[in-house]
Amino acid sequence: MTSEKEPSKSDNTWSRIGWASAIGLITVSAILGFVVLGGEEQNGRPLDPWAGICRGLGITWDTGPANSPQPPLRTLTQIAWTHDTLAQISNGDVGRGEFVAMNCIACHGEQGQSSSGLYPSLARMDAATIYKQLDDFRTGKRRWGAMNGIAQALSPQASADVAAYYASRDKGLIPSVPGHLGEFSAAEHLVFVGDPERGIPSCTACHGPDERKLGAPPLLGQQPAYIERQLAAFTQGMRQNDIDRQMSTVAAQLKPEEMRDLANFYSGDVQAQLAKQ
Amino acid sequence: MNKSERLALYHLWVAFGLFVPAVLLGAWQMLARSPLPAPLQDHPSTYYASVTLHGTVMAYVLTTFFAMGFGYAVAATSLRRPIHGMTAAWVGFAICLTGTLMAAATIVAGRASVLYTFYPPLLASPWYYLGALLLIGGSMIWVVLMIINMAAWKRDNPGLPVPLAMFATTATAYLWAWAATGVLLELICILIPRAFGWTDLIDAALGRTLFSVTLHGIVYFWLMPAYIAFYTLVPEAAGGRLYSDTMGRLTFIMFLVFSIPVGIHHLLADPEHATGFKFVQSFLTFLVVLPTLVTVFSLSASLEIAGRHRGGRGLLGWIWALPWDRPMVLACGLSLIMLGLGGFGGIINMSYAMNSMIHNTSWVTAHFHLIFGGAVVIMYFAIAYEIWPRITGKPLCLVWLARWQLWLWFWGMMIATIPWHITGLIGQPRRVAAFDYSMPLYARMGPLVIISVIGGFFLLISALLLAVVLVRSQFGERSVPEPLRYALAVNPPRHVPPSLNGFALWNSILLVLMIAAYGYPIGQFFFMKDHNVPAIEATGQSIPTEDAR
Repeated sequence: MTSEKEPSKSDNTWSRIGWASAIGLITVSAILGFVVLGGEEQNGRPLDPWAGICRGLGITWDTGPANSPQPPLRTLTQIAWTHDTLAQISNGDVGRGEFVAMNCIACHGEQGQSSSGLYPSLARMDAATIYKQLDDFRTGKRRWGAMNGIAQALSPQASADVAAYYASRDKGLIPSVPGHLGEFSAAEHLVFVGDPERGIPSCTACHGPDERKLGAPPLLGQQPAYIERQLAAFTQGMRQNDIDRQMSTVAAQLKPEEMRDLANFYSGDVQAQLAKQ
Repeated sequence: MNKSERLALYHLWVAFGLFVPAVLLGAWQMLARSPLPAPLQDHPSTYYASVTLHGTVMAYVLTTFFAMGFGYAVAATSLRRPIHGMTAAWVGFAICLTGTLMAAATIVAGRASVLYTFYPPLLASPWYYLGALLLIGGSMIWVVLMIINMAAWKRDNPGLPVPLAMFATTATAYLWAWAATGVLLELICILIPRAFGWTDLIDAALGRTLFSVTLHGIVYFWLMPAYIAFYTLVPEAAGGRLYSDTMGRLTFIMFLVFSIPVGIHHLLADPEHATGFKFVQSFLTFLVVLPTLVTVFSLSASLEIAGRHRGGRGLLGWIWALPWDRPMVLACGLSLIMLGLGGFGGIINMSYAMNSMIHNTSWVTAHFHLIFGGAVVIMYFAIAYEIWPRITGKPLCLVWLARWQLWLWFWGMMIATIPWHITGLIGQPRRVAAFDYSMPLYARMGPLVIISVIGGFFLLISALLLAVVLVRSQFGERSVPEPLRYALAVNPPRHVPPSLNGFALWNSILLVLMIAAYGYPIGQFFFMKDHNVPAIEATGQSIPTEDAR
């Protein structure tokens, strides 16, 4: 072995081997990764080498418009829960709201307690929910009968006022259940547990009773026909103003009889049920 | 017991002292995610806290303290002189221990259930990150001491080859220094500022990329003590000689060079990197097969020398002639079986295309349990049995129990991980606290998971036996200690070229490889807009943001 006699020469050998293999390996892998495989397409002809290299680097090589026609961009609602929106809602004035609410009584009932399945009760619904729905009606994100025209006549401030008025009523929708409901029926199971196998979260997670999410109305005490029709509208895409499409997703999983049972559960006289047990 | 021995012993006690309870957690986790009833299974958060503690202890505490303790023992015995910098070593020990206790307490309090790999945008309490920072940062003192001790020995013995055990230990130190850079930068620049609320958002993509620098290197940092034992202790224990000293040096050099610029193969499914560098690093990953195969060859040749020396004849007769009753030889044999099986699994993980079949499934968990928990940790046991008598001055008690312990660990790991691999192939996701075994997909996995639990039970018993053997030996009769002896090579090196006697060349090559492999993947974040995301707190308490202050 020469290494024992001429250490410096042997060391040069190791140095050459080391550098040559390191640079060789990097070069081979880069050529394979960027040039040879970089342009491969699963379907269709490979990209040209330059496009392949750009894709390998994560840089879009094709900045021109796509060839296929794209569907127009659609926003589901104009409302986002930004600081400004929430500040606007909390600025609502109950006194002025009472005046605005005189336009609502004909359908939504005295003090916002609806007596018709066509119209939801508004009393004690939270202000953010009412404000969002009015905005959706105003911008056409939700469409229903006369509401679009009515909402267009209201300024954002007037919407906040009327929302504050209905939210401040002392009778109406019930945000929480006193005590425990005992054994669950099928509808109660959906309400309190959901059905994970079908990807259905519990209704309570957003709509209460007890737990609430911003922009989701309390449902306990609502008109049953109204609830059932809204679920159907979400299923059929007639109503699409849920911010993250959560209602459309859930409603699509529900069977018609489940929708009816849920509507009945929420409209039922909870106090009476509790008394019965 | 002299000073260096006490230093090594304290490190090993911390390593194994936390290892045993962490095995208990692991066994409980296997039960909790199985169809069988498990105690204390009240909420998924308990499971995630347990996984975090198990992972943190096994991946950081056991390995770092073991590598440090073993490193000090090797430095003192292979260089045959006291360690330079004992005070610094004890300071490092104290820092690492403080960090360990901080991190463990935070996890137990339920405020850091982010798993040991941190997974930003998950966010834990700052005390967990500070604990990890102290533990990993403190181990850098050990890194520096190993480098200094080797350099000082070379200065005092010009022209002589550094003993292979010390050369390998210093390679481990360099490897850990390179690997730890990623996690230290992630902790200091991304996680700790966010955890204290100094920043609003979290750069999850950069954090994950930096962690990937650590994530593969750390695996080889765990592995190195086992390989050091393969080259320097196993041939001696088997009564033979090391087949080739040069092969040993090349192996450790290749591990240093090839285990760091490859970490993006842990991010093959991550969107923050494009295909090019994923391919390059996946390609480079395959090169770690080289030192592994060289080691298997060299080790087999060394064992054959020993077997034939003991009277073994014929093509394979030497295998039966080996002294399998010695824990080091037995552990080496069992380790090689697990290394072989786990190694083939690893080739699937590192392949860009095949990875997508098993990414984020329990296959991956099974893989690293087999190769680290099995092949590597069983060598930790053997090393402990080998050096315990040397550093305590008391012979190993209950050698028969030690053999049982090794066999139980082997069978436990095989029974646990083979069905675990299969459930991964069926599609069981990893990092999930509970499965609904009534669902058709999971119903098929139920029996396999139950078999795994049985393996976990074996592992728990084995860990308890380890504690019994070590504690009994610690309190045994003092006798004259034999010095720790390293295997002599068939042709002991009288002179080796400077490149195989130091790391300057290899560190320079590694630097160039790192710039080539990671320069763009890390650099892109400094030019990319909007890659910071909100953190997801896993602390049970809210963490202040810029706005709130």
